[in-house]
Amino acid sequence: MDPQGLIAKTSYHYFLLDVGIMLLIVVPTAALAIWAMIRYRKGGKGTYQPKWAHSWTIEAIVWGIPLITVGVLSYLSVKAIYAVNPYNPGAISQAQKKAGGDPLEVDVIATDWRWLFIYPKQHIATTNELVVPKGIPVRFRLTSTSVVNDFIIPQLVGMIDVMPGMRTKQALVSDHIGSYVGFSADYSGAGLSWMHFTTKVVSKHQFSSWVSTIQTDPQKLTLNGFNRFARPYIPVGEKSQPKFGEVQQGLFDLVVNEVMKGKTWKTPMDMTENMVAYLNNQNELQKEGYY
Amino acid sequence: MFVHLQGPWSPLLGRLSAEQLPFLHIPIIEYTFAVVVLLGLVVVGAVTYLGKWGYLWRGWLTTVDHKRIGVMYILIGLVMLLRGFADAFMIRLQQAMAVGPHSPGYMGAIHGYLTPFHIGQIFAAHGLIMVVFAATPLLVGLMNIIVPLQIGARDMAYPYLNAMGLWLTAGGAALVMASLFIGNFAHGGWYGFVPYFELSYSPGVGVDYWMWAFQLSAIGTSLGSINLIATIVKMRAPGMTWMRLPIFTWASLSTNLIALTSFPVLMVSLALLGLDRYLGTHFYTAGMGGNLMLYNDLFWIWGHPEVYFLILPAFGIMSEIIPTFSEKTLFGYATMVIASFAIGGVSWGVWLHHFFTMAAAPSVNSFYSVTTMLVGIPTGVKVFNWIFTMYRGRVRFELPMMWALLALFLLLVGGMTGMMNAFASNDYMWHNGIFVVAHFHMMVLLIAASIFGAVEYWFPKVFGFRLEQKWGKLFFWFMVLGTGFVFVPMFILGLAGMTRRLDYIPYAAWAPYMQIEMIGIALYVMALAFFLAHLYVSLRDRSKNLAEADAWGTGRSLEWMTHSPVPSYNFAITPHINTRDEWAWRKENGLTELHAGEYEPIHMPKNTGVPLVIGAFFFALAFGLTWRIWWLSLISVVLIVLMIILRSFQKDTDMTIPPEEVERTEKRAIDTLYPSSRADVPVYPGGTVGTATAYQRLSASEDVGVSSTGTLPHASVDR
Repeated sequence: MDPQGLIAKTSYHYFLLDVGIMLLIVVPTAALAIWAMIRYRKGGKGTYQPKWAHSWTIEAIVWGIPLITVGVLSYLSVKAIYAVNPYNPGAISQAQKKAGGDPLEVDVIATDWRWLFIYPKQHIATTNELVVPKGIPVRFRLTSTSVVNDFIIPQLVGMIDVMPGMRTKQALVSDHIGSYVGFSADYSGAGLSWMHFTTKVVSKHQFSSWVSTIQTDPQKLTLNGFNRFARPYIPVGEKSQPKFGEVQQGLFDLVVNEVMKGKTWKTPMDMTENMVAYLNNQNELQKEGYY
Repeated sequence: MFVHLQGPWSPLLGRLSAEQLPFLHIPIIEYTFAVVVLLGLVVVGAVTYLGKWGYLWRGWLTTVDHKRIGVMYILIGLVMLLRGFADAFMIRLQQAMAVGPHSPGYMGAIHGYLTPFHIGQIFAAHGLIMVVFAATPLLVGLMNIIVPLQIGARDMAYPYLNAMGLWLTAGGAALVMASLFIGNFAHGGWYGFVPYFELSYSPGVGVDYWMWAFQLSAIGTSLGSINLIATIVKMRAPGMTWMRLPIFTWASLSTNLIALTSFPVLMVSLALLGLDRYLGTHFYTAGMGGNLMLYNDLFWIWGHPEVYFLILPAFGIMSEIIPTFSEKTLFGYATMVIASFAIGGVSWGVWLHHFFTMAAAPSVNSFYSVTTMLVGIPTGVKVFNWIFTMYRGRVRFELPMMWALLALFLLLVGGMTGMMNAFASNDYMWHNGIFVVAHFHMMVLLIAASIFGAVEYWFPKVFGFRLEQKWGKLFFWFMVLGTGFVFVPMFILGLAGMTRRLDYIPYAAWAPYMQIEMIGIALYVMALAFFLAHLYVSLRDRSKNLAEADAWGTGRSLEWMTHSPVPSYNFAITPHINTRDEWAWRKENGLTELHAGEYEPIHMPKNTGVPLVIGAFFFALAFGLTWRIWWLSLISVVLIVLMIILRSFQKDTDMTIPPEEVERTEKRAIDTLYPSSRADVPVYPGGTVGTATAYQRLSASEDVGVSSTGTLPHASVDR
């Protein structure tokens, strides 16, 4: 509830309108109920008319009030949906006109249980760390290797499902330099609680120098390497996350295609059945160079 | 076989092995197991000691009496409610313990005391149990008991089918309980995620347990809904026209129409998942042409109507309790009926709001946002109608009324937050968040509150005595407080952006809210203790609280016309219905005498053990399938089919109660309540005992010379 980006702010604006209108109806209704309870309690002052059960005026009011409220809210809701819909947010389109130039493209791949951010134009990739320049619209393409995840950075942009073998989109613009937390919200298994990532909003200048630093990283990410990277892994307490100075061209599309053709990264049964030893198991595998 | 299974499999035991018995390795389950075994032994020992096995078998296990079946449904519901609450307690404790990176871990967990897969099982079980094995059986049980009474029927249309539904539900509940000690339960949410629930990501038996338990209860509920619809359409007493139908029966009709049309979709959606897991098909897989969105669509086409399947009877209960304790006619009867069916109708057109974030086009999301908000209109109308029922009434705050009013206020909170969720741009921000969780708990607690109200309200009708009020009120107020302490912080956390189903919460700053929620949980635990005291004290002092036919004195509908407790045949003579709120009208006109002049033989169904046995075989079938013990499943299927065929050849399925026995039963019912002889009972002006009775058709009150002016005492027979 502390919006720092255009999409989150637009949502917040409509949220306030929505809640305001609702309170306007709900509070008086609750008051009416309490008044009726007190006034017409047994032994109270209210007149007793046991047969009174119909009044056209009241019928008109009780149907009319909800009808009008829902009408107004529906109008606002549709407007809000078009303003923040992930595929072509009205708000972002306007910001794009103002900013000029091209938006920054980021491809997001969710694995069990890490986020990989690929910058296709810059040929770099990072894990669990998203860096974006301030004021420039960012457009995401998202997919998952195994199960459904949900991508959200509460202060910047709302949720979008990240689905295996499919591609979804999202977009954001950030207003302030800072660091924000992003989450996976849909249940994806044991690592869900640790599947959060940092979003750093930096200046344009800082962004380009960050890109060139990453580009010097010797690690390269190819499809084969990715197949190893995507095996089930819970990043518990991990400080440094792998970064890749070079990424195979079109890796995102390759992964989507692989998954569509039936590639899976199975969860080992030891991990789900022997519930106490699940981390030891992971540590063993790590020692053996499984990851 | 067909699919690649991780782990061992043998023809004799399937996937079952000693390693799959978690109570041998995990301390928490070890203790639970010990307690459950002990309790089981105590119950078995007590029944044997008291020599009650015969009574249990003849009176309950083989019964087809709709009231007893209803009571057993409610018992299953209460037991499962307790289990679901234990799960809730464990979830809250884990979340209160595992906040921030420095929170310690115990028993193998990194934070808190539960490992991720363990808490995954707990919240899957919590959700499934509360929705499918607590709320549903409780409401189905209430409808089972009350609907035939409200329409003046002797039993359900299909008493045997009724018992089938009960034992299938019991089989499903037993399967969920079995998963606690043999193997494990699904690790995801209660509604199942694909492809997470596919064999690749959930390789164990948990999902299979979940799937078959769900499937059994779905079959059971569908059978029940056919029965209730047939009963309401075909078994109404003479004169009970549609617009004289009590409002709870209307709610039951609309709710069962929803069940009948939506539960089959659930069965199909689960069956397709079963094909994926057992035969290696690709309905819901990510690759090979599978479509995971298909599951979401199919599941929620059932799932959302299911929500209204639960809430409509709750609204029906409120519409019965509020007029009784306002001593006044329900405001806007026709409007209430229209609103019930409007909610039922809209329920099929809103399911997509369960996945607004699945990247549907804005036009699609707009459509479902608006349809979802439309639900607010009939619901709002209902709220206003209840308020206007109290208006110009004489409101008595007895326990059923307190619960009904609590439900009304929870509906205001739940309805408002529901409208906030329906506003899709809000939903984008918190779709898989705690805010949504807090919202639907408001709605489910509303249902729970009306169920508690209904149990208080109709308890004397079924058992012949009222529940005491002191402990009951403590129970009520602690439930209110607990709800406040648990869910207000939850709404705040939801707005702060906390997401659902977390095993570990990275933000240390949220810890205080979790701790406040624990206070709420402690209050709930105390409420539970008061609830047990409430039952115990009521049972102990039952002779002090004996109830008349009209237990609350201001009952309005037909069920208050027959004795409390209701005899097996419900009404000695089928009543003729003259008006809406028949009983209230009869009280005004002094037509309340329960002695009929002459009794007739009554045709009733006979007890049968077949449904119980078939239910047990269904459990064996599901257990065999879960563990892939093929021989067990095969034998069970053969036996089920055989039982059904054999039963269909059985001709001796009904009996006749002779008039003398009816008369004896009737006399005993009246004598228990009024030990003084019948001669002392005053006769209402104009009526003579045996001539003007509650059972007679009376198109106009002049027929029997009763003066329509002048108020008469409300009790059926005055002391």
